[in-house]
Formats: sequence, structure tokens, C-alpha cells
Amino acid sequence: MMNRFIRRIQRFKGWIGAAAALCIFYGLYLGLLDSPPDYYQGEVVRIMYVHVPLAHTALLAYGTLFVGSLWYLWKRDVLVDNMCHAAAGITAAFTILALITGAIWAKPTWNTWWTWDPKLVSFAVLLLIASGYLMLRTFVEDPDKEGRYAAVMAIVGGIDLPIIYFSAEWWRTLHQPLSISMRGVSMSGDILLPLAIMSLGLNLLFIYMLMIRTQMLYLTNLLEAKKGRLLSHAHLSHTSS
Amino acid sequence: MPFFRVIQWVVWKDLISELRSRETLSSMLFFALIVILVFSFSFAMDQDAAQQLIAGIIWVSFVFTGIIGLGKSFSAELQNDAIEYLQMSPAPKGAIYLGKMIGNLLFMLVVEIMLFPLFVLFFNLDIVEEIGLLLLIFFLATLGLSAVGTLFSALTVQIRAREVMLPVLLLPLAVPVMIAAVEATRGALEGQPLVIYSQWIELLTIFDIIFTVVSFWLFDLILDS
Repeated sequence: MMNRFIRRIQRFKGWIGAAAALCIFYGLYLGLLDSPPDYYQGEVVRIMYVHVPLAHTALLAYGTLFVGSLWYLWKRDVLVDNMCHAAAGITAAFTILALITGAIWAKPTWNTWWTWDPKLVSFAVLLLIASGYLMLRTFVEDPDKEGRYAAVMAIVGGIDLPIIYFSAEWWRTLHQPLSISMRGVSMSGDILLPLAIMSLGLNLLFIYMLMIRTQMLYLTNLLEAKKGRLLSHAHLSHTSS
Repeated sequence: MPFFRVIQWVVWKDLISELRSRETLSSMLFFALIVILVFSFSFAMDQDAAQQLIAGIIWVSFVFTGIIGLGKSFSAELQNDAIEYLQMSPAPKGAIYLGKMIGNLLFMLVVEIMLFPLFVLFFNLDIVEEIGLLLLIFFLATLGLSAVGTLFSALTVQIRAREVMLPVLLLPLAVPVMIAAVEATRGALEGQPLVIYSQWIELLTIFDIIFTVVSFWLFDLILDS
């Protein structure tokens, strides 16, 4: 019996994927070709239109994982557990991409690939937490335990992330002032529009990926369960004859 | 069973079995000695560099040693399937968590207090005035490590590759404890006025409260058959 959510995903995912592609292509056109170069940074600033939305989407993905984990512990719905598993993988992927694009942007503007900026520290730790979560899931045999333990990890990590950010910020301001401060800088419309469209596009892409991956994990588990049942059935009929 | 009686019993059980076997404390101490030796070989030639790094060196050895103790805390329960009795026991799981957490805190603190004189000796530290404050920092940071560590010790002991997974899951989450403990210890050792580093002590206290409560609440889900 296929879950009705899985059926609904099957029907809607194409539209979401198409909307994501549309937004991303339009946002890339606006950001990379149409928007003016930055007064200080020149053409280099254009990587911002990829980097910032990637980072926001990584946080959205972890937020989904966090809320989904609480929901799973409350309702114990297998589909929600599959969604958490899917969200964790996508968190790791978007976090790596955000770290890489950040390093590429940091080299020409801050003249270094890496600095101990609170955002960088938090994203590095986020990557460790998401990969720890994925590793944990591969090491638990019992599916019920797997869901519970993974949810515990995601919740503790989610509560820890703001603390990590604040401690890294204090730590950073203690040793060396922040390299760049966005406070008091107002963004003009021709920067904001491509950023908003790219963010929307990547958020839609995240939802699209989440749907496909959740569907895949759910159906794989269903298949495994069916296979197990068939095998034990064959075994029983074989021994009784 | 009354809640506090359970806590008392779990702590007492851990202390008694440790007094009889001396397994956890001796392995922690021996490991920590090796870590200190490695660090002093790497830095002792240059006293100035060592003074700069000493707070970090202290906490790296304390955290790694603590992980050994935390891992032993629940893997000892695997013998004779004692963990299944803990799972089946009608005692409140939160009380078992608090008992285990206090036991781990005691073991880690004992090892830290035994090791600290060696740091003073090897790295030529001057600590007489700030010793009370240093002990407070050690206590708060170790409590934070023990609060999260006990939860993940109970979790990883029930899965495959448990020796690897405990540090992999615990260390990223312990980043705020590490930063705060190192900064506060550095402040105390350098004799800075308390105002400069009191924010780290506050951060440690907040971390301790949050994660003791969260782990206490989540422990039910971990220690469940």
C-alpha cells in the first residue's frame, strides 16, 4: 500500500522542479549578467548571488531536519523519518557548496581562503553535525532505533548551533575585529532582486530534492520489507512441504 | 523508586565498580600522561610558545581523556548485558542519566585534578592566586562535556563502530565548551581581571543548564529497548 503523500509527491514534484529551474536560470542571468558590478569588489561580488542563497538553503534544510525530528519523535511517522534522512543529506551537500563558494569569494576579497569568522566556524561545524548524523544512521541496524537516535542527534545539534555561532562570534571579536560587517549597509534593489530570486530558486530546488529523496527512501524501505516478507514466506512454505 | 535514591544508587554503583576494577581511571590517567608527554616534546623547547598555547593544550588533553572515560561509562554496562537491565528497570530513566552523568563528572574531575599539577610542573605555570577560579572553570566545562557526553555514550554504545562514533558525534557539539573553557583558562592563567573573561564562565553555565535539561529529556528515547 503506497502512502498517499508519496502519490501526491509523484504528482507535484515536476512542477516544483520546473519552477526551481526557472527561478535559478532567471536569477543567474540577473546576478551574473544584468546586475551592476560592486563599487569596491568589482565583478567578484557576483559569486554572492550563488553563495548567500546556498548558505540560506543549507540552514533551511537543517531547519527542516530539526522540525522533522521533533515531529517524528511526537508522531513516529516513518515517512517523516525518511524526510529527515533526506534533509540531512541535502544539508550536507548545500553546506559543502556554501563553504566552497565562500572560500572562493574570500580569497580575492579578504585575501585568504579561510578565516575564523563566526559564520564560517558555524558552517564548518554544521557540516560535521550533518555528516555525523548521516554516519550514525548507517551504523544502527534496527529501523525504529535508527529513527529515534538520529532524531536525538538532530535535535541536540539544532539546539547547539546558535550557541556555537555566538561563542564563535565572541571568540572572534576578542582576537580580531570582524573582516566585514553588513550592519548599516542597505542593499539596493538591483542587488536584492537577483538575490531574492536565487534564494527562491534554491529553496524550491531543496523542496524538489527533498521530495525525490524522501520518495526514494520510502519506496526502498517498502521494497526491503516486501522482499523480507516474501523470503520468509518462501522459507515457511518450503519447510512445511 | 524515589528519584533521588536512584541517582544515588547509580553513582554509588559506578564508584564501587571503579574502586574494584580501577579500569576507567587508570586508562584515562595513562592516556592523559601520554598526551601531556607528546605535547611537552612538541612545545617544551620553546617556553614562550608553550605559555601561549597552554590553555589549549590543557583542554585538548582533558577532552580526549574525557572521551575515553565517557566511552567506558556505558560500554562497561555491556558486560553481562547489564544495559538490558537498565533498559527494563522501572526506575525513571532521567534519574539513571543524572547518576551516570554525575559519575562521569567525578571521574573526569579526579583525572583533571591529578593531571593539572603535571602541567604546572612541565610548563612552569604560575597559578597560586587563581586556583579557586580555575577549579570552577574546570568544573563547569567538565559538567558541560559530561552532560552531552553521557547522552552520546549511551547512544553510541548501542550501535556499530561505537569507539569511532562517540568522538565523531560529541566533539562538534562540544565546540562552544572548548572555546569557552580555553578562553577562560587562558584568562585565569594570565592573571587578567575577571571582567574580561567572565562572559566565558557565563557561557559555560548556560551551556551546562541547557544541555543537562535537553539530555535529561532525550535520555528516555536512548535507553529504551
